[in-house]
Amino acid sequence: MSMQALNQLVARSIVEPNIVKSFASGQIDELIADFEFSPELRKRLGTLEAGTFAEFSLLAYRVVKAAEVPARRIELPSPAEGLLDDQAQSDSEQVA
Amino acid sequence: MIPFTREEREWFLRNLARGLVEYFGRSDPPVGVEEMLSQPPPLYDADFGIVEMYSNLWDATFARPPSQRGSIFVRSDLPLDERRFALAREMLSALITSKHGRAMGLPELLLPHLRESAEYFARFLLVPELMLEAYRGRGGKKIGFADVFQIPPRIAAVRWAD
Repeated sequence: MSMQALNQLVARSIVEPNIVKSFASGQIDELIADFEFSPELRKRLGTLEAGTFAEFSLLAYRVVKAAEVPARRIELPSPAEGLLDDQAQSDSEQVA
Repeated sequence: MIPFTREEREWFLRNLARGLVEYFGRSDPPVGVEEMLSQPPPLYDADFGIVEMYSNLWDATFARPPSQRGSIFVRSDLPLDERRFALAREMLSALITSKHGRAMGLPELLLPHLRESAEYFARFLLVPELMLEAYRGRGGKKIGFADVFQIPPRIAAVRWAD
């Protein structure tokens, strides 16, 4: 959600002068309040220091990307592992 | 300007292209690049223009004469798909050198890799992600893609793989 919000902020900045003006006048908190960032990200974005809006965008991208929780993967044991174990067990039984 | 990666630059460019497409409210291909230039957002009244040229030297180039409106000088005999791509590509120069673009810090970010940035921007302006997803969702194939979006086949091949 936050990356979508950041994408929207950057997309709108190219046609809406108020976004860049707000940034230039140091009103970052007010600027990002209009977009759906999580409260934690909102805090962190508000503390970023950048000379231009483009630079702010790149720094914000890094922050938001790092904060995004990677999708959880369901990790099941491979069926091959079980087969290999059985085979290995069987081999040892035969040797014995 | 902070150091940045190509991935970060491309993410930024995709969003610039998306902002323009959304502003014009276009949801189906082909994206109206000539419309964008002839009826730009008010912010770019002094930056977006088209001047037809007879030239064999280039397909299109953006220029801003001192104290005058910036314009894309485009060869008048280009095929439609090549013309659309050339105009979209040069539009990035218009954005970068505009008053608003300079205020955003676009020159520091994009001028060091202008040609590459402009072509990437043009691909995403003419084929926005949502339109490409919709095209694929309707069963659209690589063959026919260039025709639907009215872009040169060589550009379509690159965009399909982006």
